Amino acid sequence: MKRRRKLWITLGFLAAFHLAVLFAGFFAPYNFATQNREFPFAPPTRVHFVDAQGNFRLRPFVYGLQNDSSALSGFTTDFGRVYPIHFLASGARYEVAGIFSSSLHLFEVDSPGRIFLLGSDGYGRDQLSRFLYGGQLSLLAGLLAAALSVGIGIAIGALAGFYGGWIDDVLMRGAELFLALPWLYLLLAVRSALPLHVSEWQVFLLLICAIGLIGWSRPGRLIRGAVLSAKERNFVVAARGFGASNLFLLRRHVLPQTYGIILTQLALLAPQYILAEVTLTFLGLGVGEPMPSWGSLFAPLQQYAVLVSDWWMFIPAVILVPVFLAYYSAADTLQERLKSVAL
Amino acid sequence: MTMKSPDAEADNRSEPLLEVRDLSKEYIQRGRLSRAKNTVNALAGVNLKIRRGSTVAIVGASGSGKSTLARCVALLEQPTRGEIIFEGRDLLALSTRELFRIRRCIQLIFQDPTSALDPRLSAAELIAEPLVIQRIGTKEERQAKAREAMERVGLPASCENKRPLEFSGGQRQRIAIARALVLEPALLILDEALSSLDLANQESILSLLSELQGACGITYVHISHDLRSVSEFADEIAVMHTGRIVEQKRAAELVASAEHAHTQELLAAMRTVESICAERRAKGLV
Amino acid sequence: MRFIFRRLAHAVLLLLAISFLSFALLQLTPGDFFDGLRLNPEISQQTIEGLRAQYGLDRPLPVRYERWVAALLHGQLGFSLAYKSPVGPLLRERAWNTLVLTGTATLLSWLIAIPIGVWSAAAKGKWPDRISGVATSTLLTIPDLLLFLLLLLLAVRTGWFPSGGMVSAAGDANAGLWATAFDIAQHLVLPAAGLALVALPALVRHIRSSMIEVLASPFIRAARAHGISRMRILFRYALPVAANPLISLFGLSIAGMLSASALAEVVLSWPGLGPLLLESVLARDVYVVAGTVMVAAVFLIGGNLLADLLLFAVDPRIRTDS
Repeated sequence: MKRRRKLWITLGFLAAFHLAVLFAGFFAPYNFATQNREFPFAPPTRVHFVDAQGNFRLRPFVYGLQNDSSALSGFTTDFGRVYPIHFLASGARYEVAGIFSSSLHLFEVDSPGRIFLLGSDGYGRDQLSRFLYGGQLSLLAGLLAAALSVGIGIAIGALAGFYGGWIDDVLMRGAELFLALPWLYLLLAVRSALPLHVSEWQVFLLLICAIGLIGWSRPGRLIRGAVLSAKERNFVVAARGFGASNLFLLRRHVLPQTYGIILTQLALLAPQYILAEVTLTFLGLGVGEPMPSWGSLFAPLQQYAVLVSDWWMFIPAVILVPVFLAYYSAADTLQERLKSVAL
Repeated sequence: MTMKSPDAEADNRSEPLLEVRDLSKEYIQRGRLSRAKNTVNALAGVNLKIRRGSTVAIVGASGSGKSTLARCVALLEQPTRGEIIFEGRDLLALSTRELFRIRRCIQLIFQDPTSALDPRLSAAELIAEPLVIQRIGTKEERQAKAREAMERVGLPASCENKRPLEFSGGQRQRIAIARALVLEPALLILDEALSSLDLANQESILSLLSELQGACGITYVHISHDLRSVSEFADEIAVMHTGRIVEQKRAAELVASAEHAHTQELLAAMRTVESICAERRAKGLV
Repeated sequence: MRFIFRRLAHAVLLLLAISFLSFALLQLTPGDFFDGLRLNPEISQQTIEGLRAQYGLDRPLPVRYERWVAALLHGQLGFSLAYKSPVGPLLRERAWNTLVLTGTATLLSWLIAIPIGVWSAAAKGKWPDRISGVATSTLLTIPDLLLFLLLLLLAVRTGWFPSGGMVSAAGDANAGLWATAFDIAQHLVLPAAGLALVALPALVRHIRSSMIEVLASPFIRAARAHGISRMRILFRYALPVAANPLISLFGLSIAGMLSASALAEVVLSWPGLGPLLLESVLARDVYVVAGTVMVAAVFLIGGNLLADLLLFAVDPRIRTDS
């Protein structure tokens, strides 16, 4: 089925992207904090297969970079120095998800050569590496916040839909309130109540909680609707006739009817929440240096000098578009599937 | 094919299995802004006696309250007033724990088997569910009982892992019956359970039910709108009209000499249908 | 009439809830707020004591809440540490700027969305509909932040538009009204356009689906059978009926618009509530934060009330129901 194939392609792309971010240490040639003060705002390094003499080399290589204030970008290529790219080479040590460490990198270049595939920022830090490591923070924050939101939505939606009555009224009024408030204002206000300088992990967790707590109402409402209609189905009434408790009914018969909605909402909310984290960090309220997030990659883009001369700083932002497209596409397909399956 | 119990005369002396006294159920519809209230009397004082081991049919037009009565007796809905006396105890006055135990004894089969079975579960899981809920037996014992029940209703054990959607309508109703039987209830209420089936299925399920009654002495209450078919297999017929039982008699007596006006209407309609059928047969059209 | 009263009561309750939330926010900050002021030589001890008494900082919680609300109703929103001035006047100017921006953006987005949505609905399935569908989907996936940054890039690279602020730095204080208005308008283009683009996709989608629903109804078919022209049918018959859910949409979209405008204001340096809120969060200037949240809430509730009144005026069903 065409829809099925589309879903698998989309999910495949997302999985590949997330894996690349998870194994950032492997795919990134440098650490996110490694500064190269002599190469600030270096343009993306060109990879060559043919050298200046016109010889074809099997192993791709890069040329050395030289500071040159007369050049437009501030750098010129030093054709004299050739640095071949080593694949699956040993480099700086890194950790994967805090579980195991390794020093294997996909590609490396011998010092003092540098390979900035996406250019470097004001401190000479490799943008590609920062993008991959930053993704760990942003993606994790977004996904966890989405899970939190949907989790709260399940709890409240199930309560409101199942028990009905005044509980339903009160909870849904609360949901209305949350739905009505501007999220950025709310987020900033909540952030202001929290101490500005706390440990990184605490800020991270607080961010997730704040973002997740604000957005529970939409999934909550949808789940409430599904629970309401499932509750009246005859097979639920029949189970009641056998003496089933409310908890049993919820667990065994009612909540399984909401799985489709849960998945769809997760796929919809994840990109929104990733964006929320990015926005917060961009505004300076995120986890903070040295831990990069995609937001910290975008922050320099507000500077006039960067906007005018350093176009490669936009690349990370542009890469995000297909990622979000994949998420939304997956959510759309899931929603279509839901509609066709629902009875 | 008959379902009349073997010692019909002897039952006259025994205590009724189920007695319903003055059962009433009101539905209040709130108008907007809680001003206008609309009260619907689904049940308006139902009195009914059902003897153990018999087959009683409750007949009535749509809206007469038949389904509401069935649900109240099966303890799926709370009546507004009245008593439901089962084996001498008022079901509406039981404690939660007693109520939980009593549920084994009274079961309801719904009209539409498809909606009554959770489409995500397999036949075996569905049939074993009452045992799980009532915490009867170990996992193996439950599986064995489920298989036994499946065989009894005529479903091959090989399809125990299939989902409801993979069965035909008649088979789904059999699954529902197997599920109800697994608790060994004393009273089985069938709420228009045969209406959605074709004649062949109806006949085979009726004979299955008759077999079970002979073997275990289950009491049946059939809710139906079809007086004609019900008169062929029920011991007694109770006629329901606007929330009340207006007449309850042995089937043959009722058909021969009905007292209440509504019963006479139903009988008249039945006879009209019969005479039309006879005419058509005579003309060779059937 | 009852409908209006109910909505008003609802609005007041909502305002109360938000005032409570804002107050709670204020209480969460550790330390005595006015302690910081004491270190500042520019502010007299008298002012500090006066403020203290006004907000009843040494009294129990309910009293403090009461004082806070009383002060609010008198238009006094506290004191700003960073700006060393009462919050009220500070907010007034910024709030007005935000209003101008969001108002313009909302108008712009609806003006663009209605024709596109109606056209897409009328030409459902054909190429205009498909193109607009692809365009809206694309716009939807571009993060707001990226969009604003791209607009900033546009401004800086082409120089067609100013890259920030509301008035030119070299603005002549004696310039006539028209010159000032033109200056402001020039600065307004980018942020308003950005916001409109952000709001556009969802709007077009809703208008389109609402119109499709209405166009399928019998009375439209009857109108067509009568030979009424296409344009007339679309705009004089179908659109008014489709307006009901759209007006509700307007109410719901205000929150989103406020959030997006806060971001746009920061990125494109438009002096509205957004940058103020950000600065005060970073500076721990809590009264400004609380005040800004309250003002935003007032905008929100006011906008929703406006939508409700519009609904009342436009949809006869609501009138007869109450």
